[in-house]
Amino acid sequence: MSEINRKTKNEELKIEDGVMAKVKSGEIKMKPKWYFVLGSLLSLMGLVGFSIGAVFLTNLTIFLIRKRGPGYGRLDILLSSFPIWIPVLAISGIALGIWFLKKYDFSYKKNFIFITVIFVLSVIIAGFVVDTAGLNDLWSHKGPLRGLYQRYGDQRGVLQWHREGRGGMNLQ
Amino acid sequence: MKKLKKIKDEEIIEIVRSEDKEAYSEIIKRYEKKLLRYANYLVKDEHDAADIVQESFIKAYVKIKSFNKRKSFSSWIYRIVHNEAMNLVKREKRKVKIDEKMEFDSGVDIEEDLIRKELKLDTRNYLDQIPVKYCEPLSLFYLEDKSYEQISDILRIPVGTVGTRINRAKKILQKICQK
Repeated sequence: MSEINRKTKNEELKIEDGVMAKVKSGEIKMKPKWYFVLGSLLSLMGLVGFSIGAVFLTNLTIFLIRKRGPGYGRLDILLSSFPIWIPVLAISGIALGIWFLKKYDFSYKKNFIFITVIFVLSVIIAGFVVDTAGLNDLWSHKGPLRGLYQRYGDQRGVLQWHREGRGGMNLQ
Repeated sequence: MKKLKKIKDEEIIEIVRSEDKEAYSEIIKRYEKKLLRYANYLVKDEHDAADIVQESFIKAYVKIKSFNKRKSFSSWIYRIVHNEAMNLVKREKRKVKIDEKMEFDSGVDIEEDLIRKELKLDTRNYLDQIPVKYCEPLSLFYLEDKSYEQISDILRIPVGTVGTRINRAKKILQKICQK
């Protein structure tokens, strides 16, 4: 037997003996099945949760843009008073959703860029659908989100700007 | 134990999970040589490769109940070794040199053995010059006899990308050999 073969054989024996000694002594134990089921469930919940969060925040961004209007002459107000954290959180939600998607087997078997584009488009379309369905108008009057809608949908800066007549219409 | 030698990996895993944890030694026997070779391509150090393989067998045992027996055990264990090796490469951020400790055999047919060793050393030398990204699928395909599908499962990249990387690796290898 050559020196190299002998060295490899020794390494192999060391590995087998080392691992099996730990198995037999109970130093290493198999993690129970429920541990992995729980992990998968949490992962799925993470994906669903971040997707829902991203849809809601995208919808809220669309709603606020629609309400304040990105039209000519209003962009400066929109940028200065817009709650930037909402679209930032929406983008973070999408990014985390993509990160969760990457953990699934199908993600590498298909073209992941395509999956990402479909996911982002789905979130944006769902955001538009929620806004078009009139849910924002409902939530701004009823329910636990009313405060949030009133705070950012009725900002003082925007109202003041309209009161001064620069918006071309009177809100009072 | 004799019976174990004739049955498939996935069936042995089922035995390890439910009946006899010592059957795991059969899995180690079947894979350690291949995995040592594979880890060595990635980290280019025999001792590091041995540590990686040992750690991978331990991780595989701990996570054995998460293994889906409808899938290939081979791809699963190679994936664990790949992850362990990549962790080590990232941790140490090193460019590993080839193992220069190869010694000459004092035994039979010195000339033939020398040619074989030189060829092996040449191949390893050439592979060392190719980035891991391309060298890994090439090694898996030509030296470990894995199919594109299996390489895709091990590296978690689409089958098309496996083909692209192998072709790219061949072109790089061709350029290196022509120098």
